[in-house]
Amino acid sequence: MHTVLIVDDSDINLALIKALVLKLGECSPVLFDRPVAALEWCRDNVPDLVIVDYMMPEMDGLKFIAAFRALHGRNEIPVLMITANDQRDIRYEALLGGANDFLTKPIDRIEFSARARNMLSLRTGQKFLADRAEHLAALVDERTSEIREREKELIFRMSRAAEFRDPETGAHIQRMAHYSQIIARGLDLGPAMEKLVLEAAPMHDVGKIGIPDYILLKPGKLTPEEFEVMKGHARLGYELLKDSGSEILRAGAEVAMSHHEKYDGSGYPFGLKGTQIPQLGRIVAVADVFDALTSERPYKRAWSLDDACRFLEEGRSKHFDPLCVEAFLAGWEDILEIRQRFRDEEVPQI
Amino acid sequence: MAAAFVLDRASILERLGGDEEIYAMMVDMFVADVENNCTALATALAAGDVESLKRAAHTVKGLLATFSDDDGAVEANFVEKNAREDELANLGPAVADIQSRLREVSAVLSAGQA
Repeated sequence: MHTVLIVDDSDINLALIKALVLKLGECSPVLFDRPVAALEWCRDNVPDLVIVDYMMPEMDGLKFIAAFRALHGRNEIPVLMITANDQRDIRYEALLGGANDFLTKPIDRIEFSARARNMLSLRTGQKFLADRAEHLAALVDERTSEIREREKELIFRMSRAAEFRDPETGAHIQRMAHYSQIIARGLDLGPAMEKLVLEAAPMHDVGKIGIPDYILLKPGKLTPEEFEVMKGHARLGYELLKDSGSEILRAGAEVAMSHHEKYDGSGYPFGLKGTQIPQLGRIVAVADVFDALTSERPYKRAWSLDDACRFLEEGRSKHFDPLCVEAFLAGWEDILEIRQRFRDEEVPQI
Repeated sequence: MAAAFVLDRASILERLGGDEEIYAMMVDMFVADVENNCTALATALAAGDVESLKRAAHTVKGLLATFSDDDGAVEANFVEKNAREDELANLGPAVADIQSRLREVSAVLSAGQA
């Protein structure tokens, strides 16, 4: 059913055009004898065809068309303007102003039907294309979402592969990723960035894949030489992930490279200071250290939450970006919920 | 002065696609609205309201053309085109002619419906 808006200050013309529109079939006419009221209606309703008289009080047809076209989403709706035979200048102006075609007074039913049907066919074509575009967009969204889910799964499994070579657990990845997201939220980075942080953070230690077992799994303290090799995992992770076509992997590369930098410049691999350190790295540093401190390891007991928080606070502007520490502590209730949700013995899916 | 209005029902119906129902509705509405249209013309002229006079004459021109009254439409067109501040004083007879024409056409149409 097509909605046909008819705007004419003459009752007799309204009645005539309404009758002719009804004869077209599959049409529902909406009548207004005042253009201002018609425009008001158009703010909330989208007609399939507009038939508007030129000469009307309050607002002539040209002004009506201009105002109608200015409404969002009304730029393509077909408009027929009714003019007298001798109004050629008005017709030119109307064409330039957005009318699609004209009807001449006195209205001739055959001419009216042909022109109105043409306009309605145009509208049907527009709607078909719009529906098709919408359908295709939904399909692309669906497929993109599937690919993204697969990408997330691969990243998680790749991160776990690195963690399996380490005493740390899969739950550690989940917790630190969610802590990172909480910090991003506290920093007001927006939903897209929060999501990216959540998805990229698990890759922070992926470079450990390239560290020899005798160093990675060494039960005792590392020698200075061994520690130098161990520090290489940041660069290795970056090399593994850089230049990816995936935004998440590129973010992962940044996280891998920068999560051991310290705010005062005493970290590695580059000794970057303050905001020279990529924001992702500053965020993940807080989340990773907090979770490492509060988790039990074969070689250490878990710190209490109070002690771990104190460590973060004391590390403001030294080890950690103070804003990230602040954002972390501000989200404390959420941090506790994540700790509860991802315990070491169980590993739910992201 | 225009020639007497002669109802050309066939040509009007042709324009309406032969639809008697629409024709009858149009005649009824025209007849019912004649006095309003006459009043609109007279009021605009008396008030010196150029825009309203133009619009009223334009509307009447369209109505008369709908009933194939070319002479009446020409009279209405004359008022529409000459409705200017400096011409208003001279338009009284032309407006009176249109009023007469509207009533004449209305009477003929009514008779045609009987």
